[in-house]
Amino acid sequence: MIELKSVTKRFGDETAVDAISLTVERGELCALVGTSGCGKSTTLRMINRLIEHDGGEIHIEGRPIREFDGRLLRRRIGYAIQSTGLFPHWTVARNIGLVPGLLKWPAARVAERVEELMVMLGLPVEAFADKYPAQLSGGQAQRVGVARALAADPDILLMDEPFGALDPITRQGLQAELRDLQARLQKTIVFVTHDMDEALALADRLVVMNAGRIVQQGGPLELLRAPADDFVASLLGGDDRGLKAAAITRVGERMLPLATRPVPSARVPREATLHQALAVMFREHVERLAVMDGDERPVGEISLRRIVGAGREGGGEP
Amino acid sequence: MSRSAFKRWRAPLAWCALLLVLATGGEWFESLLRWSDPEARRVLYPQADLLTLLLRHLWVVAIASGLAVVLGVGAAILVTRPGGRDFLPLVAQAASMGQTFPPVAVLALAVPVLGFGTWPIIVALLLYGLLPIVRNTLAGLEGLDPGVEEAARGMGMGAAQRLWRVELPLAAPVILAGIRTSVTVNIATAALGATVGASNLGAPIIAGIINGNTAYILQGAVLIGLLALTVDSLFARLNWRG
Ligand SMILES: Nc1ncnc2c1ncn2[C@@H]1O[C@H](COP(=O)(O)OP(=O)(O)O)[C@@H](O)[C@H]1O
Ligand SMILES: [Mg+2]
Repeated sequence: MIELKSVTKRFGDETAVDAISLTVERGELCALVGTSGCGKSTTLRMINRLIEHDGGEIHIEGRPIREFDGRLLRRRIGYAIQSTGLFPHWTVARNIGLVPGLLKWPAARVAERVEELMVMLGLPVEAFADKYPAQLSGGQAQRVGVARALAADPDILLMDEPFGALDPITRQGLQAELRDLQARLQKTIVFVTHDMDEALALADRLVVMNAGRIVQQGGPLELLRAPADDFVASLLGGDDRGLKAAAITRVGERMLPLATRPVPSARVPREATLHQALAVMFREHVERLAVMDGDERPVGEISLRRIVGAGREGGGEP
Repeated sequence: MSRSAFKRWRAPLAWCALLLVLATGGEWFESLLRWSDPEARRVLYPQADLLTLLLRHLWVVAIASGLAVVLGVGAAILVTRPGGRDFLPLVAQAASMGQTFPPVAVLALAVPVLGFGTWPIIVALLLYGLLPIVRNTLAGLEGLDPGVEEAARGMGMGAAQRLWRVELPLAAPVILAGIRTSVTVNIATAALGATVGASNLGAPIIAGIINGNTAYILQGAVLIGLLALTVDSLFARLNWRG
């Protein structure tokens, strides 16, 4: 668990981070979003003490971070950045093994762990272990960066726009992998991004920052439904907010039990998003879909009215 | 030696062999030199054999350059650490002043203090050779990718670990280029030492100028040139990676 209590950072006269308070629960992925220069990276770097905070308190697992030695603290916290920062003169395997090496793990255990991570991140060992960073594509380099951050199995992971420099397809692929990884590993992650779609896709908790302050925080749907002010609303996509909410809500959460026959012929998986269900409706020119489970059995149905939220308790806007 | 290793070291070996042949060749070299100055009474510098002069020359350059590397790289490292940043402009300026100061003037000033012989030329070469080393070390260390530095710190590496395992290996090619310039220039400049009594490959040149003997000048110049080529082509093949 990471707790920030009215944490402040000044650079000269400029207040980069202004008395922000924030709690990230264990196993939670918290996304910091906001326009460039609003203090996201500074907040992140204060957590691993790359930057020392001027005011307030930061606690990790209940202990103030000033109690830890900075270097030892950083070895216990994974860190991945947009530019990857891979060492160009080290091979992929050596880069990934950096922190275990610093922690003086025996060489055999480091090698074993490096292989495990390469497999986990979809980097075939024979093909990549001995390559140098300059020989990797952007997406591969970023995988290596994430593997290096995970190497010593830290409980906490700090990620600063890790996918920011990638093309949209690669970025979405890595986002999906990070979601799967997180579902398995249950790390406590603070994830900085200025891409709202990325934040909505990944975050359990969304923290919107502006000019060094937290403007609003909460679950993605919570923010989409009730943005605190015009700034948050516009950051969340203005009129597109409804569609963005549809893109992160599962059909399974909205479906109704199968009503009277006949079962609609157009179908959609339970795990699909409302956005995808809408697309099927457009394509098939229908207003009702059968919802299927993993074994292709109909388990419910969903109507256009349900998707747009009408006739739903507290409905109106999704 | 394998074929590829031989290919790699071919140039420095060739220069070195030619250098040694001429320095020890005696009569053979003498007949070549005779051709350059048929009038002269003697054509081979008589005071000392060329191999001794060559070794002394190399020795002076090695000491001066060794000191310049230690001082230059050391100073550049210190002023790029958080504690030493304030001295960065000072060190950069001092190094360029060392090079604008003519080595002859350094010799003239050093002789009254250090006496005649080898020490004045070592001091002059040291001062003269610092700039390329300091300048390149600063450029190499300052030019590192900020992302790499942030990652190194962010992963929990200490200052010394970052310096030895990341910063110096990555800056090494640039630093090495500076050392190469410094050493090559100093091999030529060391000849000046002969004017204040150091005996090295400058001695035949000075004697040649005084006696109007072209052959003396030529043998000094040719050997210095070959020595510079040997060392330079050795540097060209060095490739330091941590
Ligand atoms: N090391 C630093 N020295 C001085 N100012 C800084 C430093 N780091 C960040 N800042 C300033 O603090 C503000 C917040 O920066 P940052 O946290 O990097 O923003 P973000 O990551 O949200 O784009 C910016 O105005 C930036 O110029
Ligand atoms: Mg940033």
